[in-house]
Amino acid sequence: MTAIALPPLIDRLRRAVGTENVLAAQSDLVVYECDGFTIEKNSPDVVVFPSTTEDVAAIVKICNAAGVPFLPRGAGTSLSGGCLPIGGGVMIVLTRMKRILEINLRDRYAVVEPGVVNVWLTNALKGTGYHYAPDPSSQGACTIGGNVATNSGGPHTLKYGVTVNHVLGMEAVLADGSVVRLGGPAEDPVGLDLVGAVVGSEGTLAIVTKIWVRLTKNPQGHRTMLGVFESVDDATAAISEIIGAGIVPAALEMMDQGILVAVEAAFQFGFPLDAQAILLIEVDGLEAGLDQQRDQIIEICKQCGAREVRLARDEKERLKLWKCRKQAFGAIGRLSPSYCTQDGVVPRTKLPHILRKIIEIGARHDIRIVNVFHAGDGNIHPILLFDERNAAQVQRVLAASNEILDECLACGGSVTGEHGIGVEKIGFMSKMFSPTDLAAMKNLRDAFNPRGNLSPDKMLPTAGGCGMEQKHPGRRAAL
Amino acid sequence: MNPRDYLPVTETLSPSNPDEVASCIRHACESSTPLYPIGGGTSLDFGMPPKAEGRGLSLSKLNRVIDYPARDMTVTVEAGVTMKVLAELLAKERQRLPVDVPRADQATIGGVIASNWNGPRRYGESSLRDSVIGIGAVDGRGLPFKGGGRVVKNVAGYDFCKLLTGSLGTLGVVTQVTLRLKPIPEQSALMACSLPDAESAEKLLAALIASQVTPTAIELLAGPEWQTAPVLADLGQSSPSALYLVVGVEGTGLEVESMLRQLSAEWRELGVEAPLVVGEGALLWQRLIEFPQAGESPLVLKASVVPSGVTAMVAAARRVDPDCSIQAHAGNGTVIIQLSRFPTGGLSRALVGNLQPAAAAHHGQLVVLSNPSGTEMTHQSVWGATDSPLALMREVKRRFDPADILNRGRFVV
Repeated sequence: MTAIALPPLIDRLRRAVGTENVLAAQSDLVVYECDGFTIEKNSPDVVVFPSTTEDVAAIVKICNAAGVPFLPRGAGTSLSGGCLPIGGGVMIVLTRMKRILEINLRDRYAVVEPGVVNVWLTNALKGTGYHYAPDPSSQGACTIGGNVATNSGGPHTLKYGVTVNHVLGMEAVLADGSVVRLGGPAEDPVGLDLVGAVVGSEGTLAIVTKIWVRLTKNPQGHRTMLGVFESVDDATAAISEIIGAGIVPAALEMMDQGILVAVEAAFQFGFPLDAQAILLIEVDGLEAGLDQQRDQIIEICKQCGAREVRLARDEKERLKLWKCRKQAFGAIGRLSPSYCTQDGVVPRTKLPHILRKIIEIGARHDIRIVNVFHAGDGNIHPILLFDERNAAQVQRVLAASNEILDECLACGGSVTGEHGIGVEKIGFMSKMFSPTDLAAMKNLRDAFNPRGNLSPDKMLPTAGGCGMEQKHPGRRAAL
Repeated sequence: MNPRDYLPVTETLSPSNPDEVASCIRHACESSTPLYPIGGGTSLDFGMPPKAEGRGLSLSKLNRVIDYPARDMTVTVEAGVTMKVLAELLAKERQRLPVDVPRADQATIGGVIASNWNGPRRYGESSLRDSVIGIGAVDGRGLPFKGGGRVVKNVAGYDFCKLLTGSLGTLGVVTQVTLRLKPIPEQSALMACSLPDAESAEKLLAALIASQVTPTAIELLAGPEWQTAPVLADLGQSSPSALYLVVGVEGTGLEVESMLRQLSAEWRELGVEAPLVVGEGALLWQRLIEFPQAGESPLVLKASVVPSGVTAMVAAARRVDPDCSIQAHAGNGTVIIQLSRFPTGGLSRALVGNLQPAAAAHHGQLVVLSNPSGTEMTHQSVWGATDSPLALMREVKRRFDPADILNRGRFVV
């Protein structure tokens, strides 16, 4: 931030929300210089912690008056740099707006503030027979406001859908500081579906201050299986066959041998270390139908060459399996000093192809790549292992990442299934979308955010360039 | 429906590909002539009756299936494909788009998306908005744009699939869509019970929240249209009842059987003496799908309220017209009301004075689905008092259609 006088801005913010809710010391600000995307860093000039919607509106108005950029932040677990304060300015951190305001089971919704951590809502709903379906692997840390910004997924989105499918309404502060209410507890609000537009807009359209989410009935039971395969090809064939048979698993995740070794070392589940791939398959629903689906899946896996299919014997074993899956990324430190996780999507039937391509790309660039991902959705998360002290290797990781994403596009897929564009993938937008597509996206952004001072330089490439040039790979973690 | 009965059009253009659609719109934009997009023409009476003379823009020639990779459970089609053709195509692979639409032989997927139509299965299956994963459209300047893609999970760029669903063709003319599909369940069955009053209906509806059954559809039915001899025959009833609750369940044979048994037990515990097992009930399902556009009602309304407000909405409608017929997708809070006669005190009084406040009392809104007389179709009566941010919606509209040629004067914005 240049040319504006910082002290008066800080004073105004302190008067608006209280001195204790404003950070301006460099030593404090450094914490906010990046999110889960750590390549590019830049400190905000000020960090503000609003407690109410009115606080947020007041902060936004002060920023507008001072002509400084501003952006919202939740827990900062975003993996694509959505919370990077480009150009500095004011960061509005919503973690003190953390109340669950209402739980209404009869009408199947809850109202939360944006700083509510995803798992808090799940915990608050324990015993009610209902849950909040989106369950990103970072659910213990990430906030629902952040989930709304990035339209987060998670393992169970295969059956239950992503965040946008569970958001009924929101209260939001627009870029000019006005407060709007979009949707609410009832479905089909009259007018344009602006709720659908704001979810996944990565903080570029509005700052969400209250959210109405749909609650989902808990399934009566689960069957959780572990299919052990001799080859990646056999495992991906099984995925295709299971979906093709008309089964909609609650989750269908794959781990390859590289990641299995690390997960086993970390959690000692008893995974067979010589297997080339395992599938973690869960079906849920009515007890009456589960054994039939389980038997069908076991049969399909065996037909596709599975060495064995293990069944989680009880809830304890099931939870342990899920812990291994959700914390798999934490185990990668055992494999390599640094790693970079990609997030691409292909049509499910192209999984065998893309996985073969990933092996080939890894070999060609001499980069070791391991895989753990949401196979049922075709959402791949190849993890490229490297040592960031080795500059040549770093360049090869970048080249390999880009090739993998290009191949996803060539398969008719996407460069991001759940992590977002942020700053990291801005360069891919013009590969995925035409100039008129991007112009339409800019139209939408300009309707909400005409001066572009809310979350500037995110998601949409600017006219001249195609995003920043990367010197280092990003993505230390993934979902 | 003949477009000329509803739209002030001098002629109807029928482009045969997206480029021609763009060219039609570009020309219209240059001359500021309104264009009225037309799909199957089954819902042309939805929205404000347009006043400005213009041209129709029929999408009926955009009827190609672009790609159906059945194993990926997605399909990409042009906007003019009818729901019936789509359903028949998907059924060959035992798949479906679980959205029930009246007059499926005419209604097109583009029109269904523009009007955001949802039927009884919305409760247990996805809503239409959740099924659209890719969309291509042409904006009000004739510029093509797309959002989403052909994969089931994708967060690249703004979600135009959501923005365009229910936009009534005011931001862009949809030319192509990609849909996420579901398997057709092995079996499907309906179970019903007759209820004496709204209070008992709410008791059963509330109980379904905690039920061990996972219905696909929860329908509350009232009024003369549901008391005809054929409906009673479907239900296996000899004499009519004031209210019926019909629950649809789908799944494998074992699942359906267990849900019917469970629901029957739960209902008996709640005092229902004789749950009516309709069985597969193909005819009744069809009636549930067709109801909003069936019959000769002089005024059809749709309220969207929180589910706990459904019975109050039914009661409010009956106070306005004791002979109205009602279908509520009660699990979702959607209440479709067919009045038996045009309100004697006028449309505004019935809606603004009575039914809109009743909907608002339950966090909802009320819109006119069809008013063949065309009288008193003001913004206030058609769309109700909305607390939606109209200024923001108008700004979005202006950016996509600066000359206001797409469905001018028909929608909220």
